[in-house]
Amino acid sequence: MIAAALLATNTLLVIAVVIGFYKAWNIGANDVANSMGTVVGSGVLTLRQAICLASVFEFLGAILVGSHVTETIKGGIVSLDLFADQPMVFGLGMLSVALATAIWLNIATAMSHPVSVTQSTVGGIIGFAMVCAIGGTACVQWRQLGLVVLTWMISPALGGLGAYLMYRAIVRWVLKSADPLQKAKHAVPLGVAVTVSILFLSATYKGLPRITIDLPLHQLLGMTLVLALVLYVAARWVIAVRTRKAPTVGGDAYAAVEKWFGSLQVLTACYMAFAHGANDVSSAIGPLAGSMQAFRGQDLSLEVPASPWLLAFGGIGIVLGLSTYGYKVIATVGKKITEITPTRGFSAAFATATTVLVCSKLGLPISTTLTSVGAILGVGLARGFASLDLRIVREIFTSWIITVPISGFFTAVIYWIFLALCGV
Amino acid sequence: MSSIFGVFGKSPFEPLVNHARKVHECVKMVRPIADALLACDMDRLNELQHDMSKTEHEADLLKDQVRHSLPHRYFLPVDREDVARFLAQMDRIADDAQDFAIVATFRCVSLPKDLHDDFLALVDKVVQVSESLLSLAEKLAQLQRESFVGPDAEDVLRRIQEVAHMEWESDRLSRKFARRLFTTPDIAPVIIILLDKLCSALGGIANHAENVGKNLRLMILRK
Repeated sequence: MIAAALLATNTLLVIAVVIGFYKAWNIGANDVANSMGTVVGSGVLTLRQAICLASVFEFLGAILVGSHVTETIKGGIVSLDLFADQPMVFGLGMLSVALATAIWLNIATAMSHPVSVTQSTVGGIIGFAMVCAIGGTACVQWRQLGLVVLTWMISPALGGLGAYLMYRAIVRWVLKSADPLQKAKHAVPLGVAVTVSILFLSATYKGLPRITIDLPLHQLLGMTLVLALVLYVAARWVIAVRTRKAPTVGGDAYAAVEKWFGSLQVLTACYMAFAHGANDVSSAIGPLAGSMQAFRGQDLSLEVPASPWLLAFGGIGIVLGLSTYGYKVIATVGKKITEITPTRGFSAAFATATTVLVCSKLGLPISTTLTSVGAILGVGLARGFASLDLRIVREIFTSWIITVPISGFFTAVIYWIFLALCGV
Repeated sequence: MSSIFGVFGKSPFEPLVNHARKVHECVKMVRPIADALLACDMDRLNELQHDMSKTEHEADLLKDQVRHSLPHRYFLPVDREDVARFLAQMDRIADDAQDFAIVATFRCVSLPKDLHDDFLALVDKVVQVSESLLSLAEKLAQLQRESFVGPDAEDVLRRIQEVAHMEWESDRLSRKFARRLFTTPDIAPVIIILLDKLCSALGGIANHAENVGKNLRLMILRK
């Protein structure tokens, strides 16, 4: 009897692991184009280089910052206390969430509809909470859920505002000036310094315990400032050395400015990959972490932080996804996005990545895709793009309204099937 | 597979540039038509008129391409009304060029030699107006890439002024030619009517070219 139960538990664990991996794979496969598409499309990097960089930064983001969001997914939306007596119910529920969202993701991809993995996971958790015997609607932490849904609306707006202001600033201070190239020589090093500083700060401040050194904020800020200064001076020096000969004149100035911003684009693409890994790894391993904890019989009311091993597991899944399938996506979209010149790409990507990273630090599971679309609209409002298809924008924005109830419903159905199979 | 890059719609700017080029192709035919008219070469005139219809039709097809990017579902960096007006004025340039070609086939014109130069000077000036307008309109796609600011935009704004000035010069040449046409004795009334029609077609080309320039200015400055 005990052996049978142990076997069943192990089987469930294996299923949870496989599904978690599949979702991580999916996240890597579908979303990598958002960060690397423009760099490859504009020819700044080769496909292989882009895949390598994306792999490194998605993995780093997942492992260094991913734990905050994972905890929210695992235990921030339903009250874990209510399941303390029946961990198996919670374990089965989380397993259902993982399975249902994986299925919904597959269906949506087959219909070539962009859906958010994060939103689908949150929808699944709500669905499970609604139908489980314990508490029903009472076990949903509505306040926390409300906050999450609120950030789904705020994050695209923030991405849009940030991108608008950034692009307007570039237009105002660089493109519109009498000597754009001279101004770009200041702006690009500034971009380098700011981007790397934010990356450094987010990776070190309250990062993963045992991996990053836990220094107080004021020390980290000091280090960041020094780092920023060093980077700014170094970048100025590189640009000065490279432009020493043949000053560019007249109409070529704009092309030269774009070229300098192009070198910045590699950095922002890495920044995007990092932020994406940080936020999205949670939807793959959050439910997995929950069900593992339950099946192993650990006390649910204990707040066990997501283990580095699990985060690394999710990170590897994402990396495998982008290296086995992501390159196809990049190759298909790469040709279509000549629209995104380096100045525009920098504005949109910087705003998106910063928004996503801040939300990740706050443990808020948001949609990287929606934030990116918001940022693209922001650049569009600043007269950045020749034409934006508002119908497609609307479709993307409304997709989450469908995604949440559908994955909730799928989760409920799968949960009932599990219950029937287990003979409860 | 789905990606966020589907949000980029059809750009009106490249088709607008193509349309402007096609329209100028029509206007460029005006000078050979004027030469054939004064030489009374009816075969050549018919042949040129045929070419003109063909080119004008091609311009119409390009115009429809621009219109595909004008529905409200597309968010543009310029006012869509300005794009529509720009297109309409361009279209009328081509229409006037075609009018010129058709009227020229009606009848052989025998004109005193000293009036030839005045007429051809007017024709050349009008072609020149269209040419300098084209050199601005061709910049449209580039200006969009540069977000309608910077040295290039400044340059185009300055040169819109030049187009307007050339239009004024063509007006002056037109009045000068009309004065001599009506005061020279022994010109058959039917010829005068014909030439008057040709001159108003030429005036139309220059006028609409100036209007296109004004629309271009609005596109650059608006928002």
